[in-house]
Amino acid sequence: MKKKFGYRVNILLFLLPALFLFISVLIAPIVMSAYYSLFKWKGVGPMTFIGFQNYSDIFTMKTVNAGRTLKNALLLAAFSTVIQLPFALWLALKLAKGIKGERGFLSIYFMPVLISTVVIGQLWIKIYDGDNGLVNVALRAVGLLGEKDMIVWLGDKNIALWAAFVPILWQYVGYHMLLMYAGIKSVPPELSEAAMLDGCTEGQLNRYIIIPYIKPILKVSVIFAVTGSLKSYDLIKVLTNGGPASTTEVPSILMYRQLFLANSYGRGSAIAVLLIALCFAFALLINLAFKGDDTI
Amino acid sequence: MKKVIALVLATIMLLSFASALAEKEELILWSIAVESDANTPAYNAAIEAFNASSEEYVLTMQPTENEAYKTKIKAAMSAGAGLPDIFFTWSMSFLGDFVAAGRVYCLDGVLPAYKDELTDTMLANTTYDGAHYGVPLTMNVVTLFANMDLLAQAGWDKAPETYEELIACCDDLVAAGIIPFGVAGKENWCLSEYTEPLLVKTIGAQGLKDCYTGAASWNQEGVIKAMTIFTDMLAKGYFDPNAAAMGNEEVKQAFLGGKTAFYQNGSWNCGEVAAAGDAFVAIPFPVIDAEKATLYEMVGGPNDTLAVTASAKNPEVCAQIAFEMGRTIAREGNLIGSGLPAWAVNYDTSSVNRISASVADMVAQSQGMVLFGDNFLSAEQADIYLNYIALLFAGEISAVEFAEGLAAELQ
Repeated sequence: MKKKFGYRVNILLFLLPALFLFISVLIAPIVMSAYYSLFKWKGVGPMTFIGFQNYSDIFTMKTVNAGRTLKNALLLAAFSTVIQLPFALWLALKLAKGIKGERGFLSIYFMPVLISTVVIGQLWIKIYDGDNGLVNVALRAVGLLGEKDMIVWLGDKNIALWAAFVPILWQYVGYHMLLMYAGIKSVPPELSEAAMLDGCTEGQLNRYIIIPYIKPILKVSVIFAVTGSLKSYDLIKVLTNGGPASTTEVPSILMYRQLFLANSYGRGSAIAVLLIALCFAFALLINLAFKGDDTI
Repeated sequence: MKKVIALVLATIMLLSFASALAEKEELILWSIAVESDANTPAYNAAIEAFNASSEEYVLTMQPTENEAYKTKIKAAMSAGAGLPDIFFTWSMSFLGDFVAAGRVYCLDGVLPAYKDELTDTMLANTTYDGAHYGVPLTMNVVTLFANMDLLAQAGWDKAPETYEELIACCDDLVAAGIIPFGVAGKENWCLSEYTEPLLVKTIGAQGLKDCYTGAASWNQEGVIKAMTIFTDMLAKGYFDPNAAAMGNEEVKQAFLGGKTAFYQNGSWNCGEVAAAGDAFVAIPFPVIDAEKATLYEMVGGPNDTLAVTASAKNPEVCAQIAFEMGRTIAREGNLIGSGLPAWAVNYDTSSVNRISASVADMVAQSQGMVLFGDNFLSAEQADIYLNYIALLFAGEISAVEFAEGLAAELQ
């Protein structure tokens, strides 16, 4: 009995450093954010307790409009799941077949992930430029746009959000493709060979053998894509800075604006808490959706 | 041989120990004087001069880009740790929050030695409850720059002097295929550089100040009139169609490169605009309502400031250094055209560029001035105010909704 107790104490002692890190780096900031979200506070000076008013303010104030930012983030998450991931899967399936120049294509598709987001942002700003941007020049060349006309891709409130989504989806296709490619490569060749011997077509092989086999990786990709979309910040910041008139604002940009430009730490913290809750909720939902036997 | 080596090593150790003892104490200055900032040469000159003359201290500048700096200083002030000795700040509410939190050293003990060179007007924006907390550097006003070559192409050999002339000039420019105004729609503060002069020339500087302080309502005829003019200008195509997707630097370069005829922004651009050629001039924005405003009423004032943290190593010495630095930066900034001096001018100004000189002349004739709205208002109010301007610019709200919205949310 004494020996068993000592063994448990040892385990606890070994776990303590990691537990301390986990609490101080992850749990404490969340708890502190939840605490600050109940106060009116400029970041310095006295704090005034106002209950849940910050949570109602972020949805009712015309210049804050958290509802719109959440809608934007959810749209991005939907597009990531519906467009980005299937495209990444298609690329991974094609490359994993062992086509000529497989390694080269892998590197090329993965390259946008390695390039700094600011560089990508600047690159796409030039592509979208109203006067001399590649898109407008191409549209003029094929006659879809008049010589003196222009589409202000990142400045038109009706299309800026969609224009900003394109580089975001483009940048991370390679990332998801690589995850899925690694998964496909780990499929035991005897499984594929047996299926082929049974007269399975390529489409059937993908549908009934490979995709079910890499289900755990698909789950990880979906979680990364959805939570990444909810947390997106950098590319939108560079491309539109949340404008025009906050139409492309996502929760992280709104949170930054409230925290550091409006000096409203309470409202900023309320947005942070909502964002954390949403990310956890979606991660749980995705886990539930993928629940079941992970092996074939 | 071993003894010789040991002796040499011991001597080196002694010398390095002695030099370490003689080292100057390092003081840290946080600023926004990154490479692209117009004031950087003025900061560099001031630091070089101080370090050359001081036997006890060495001042090290740690610059951060403007927007990132706001985050950095606020986060450090919030934590109350990792603060520098001296820091750059904007006046009024920006510095006021730090003062209220007790993070800033009061300069009243050192100020008397420099009072002859600083007027009360220049100190007003950094004075809280009668105590002084900031050293003003430069003062800046919103300035309307014009490219006379482009105006000539539209048949204008002189700059427009009245509001009617300005509108006629813009119509002629549009007809000639020239974009009248460049503005950075991506940066809300740049939009306010257009709306605030419209407001000042419609309701007067005092009228706008009353709106900021709450003494008058935003929901008034003059505000609606000024903002209707702004939306009309947008509808008539007076602004670059690409404006909503552009940043300030792009807009400035488009103006200097001859794409737009006018550019309205801070007077810190005077040096750069003057260097671009003789075709560029600075003109006053014309009066819209002569009963309430005069030609030289302006938006601006002393705003760029140095302050000393309460946690500085030796706050009194740092305060003296801040004043010395402030005086030098004001002088150098004036000479290179990155701002008008907030300090008394007691040096040769013959090398000041012609545009800075003309703006200084306008300021000298000014009968009223109101600070930039985003500096006058508290950070929370400024965020609401700037976002309403962005909504107006994007056509999301009308001039009436702008006035009603600000009245409801700010007052």
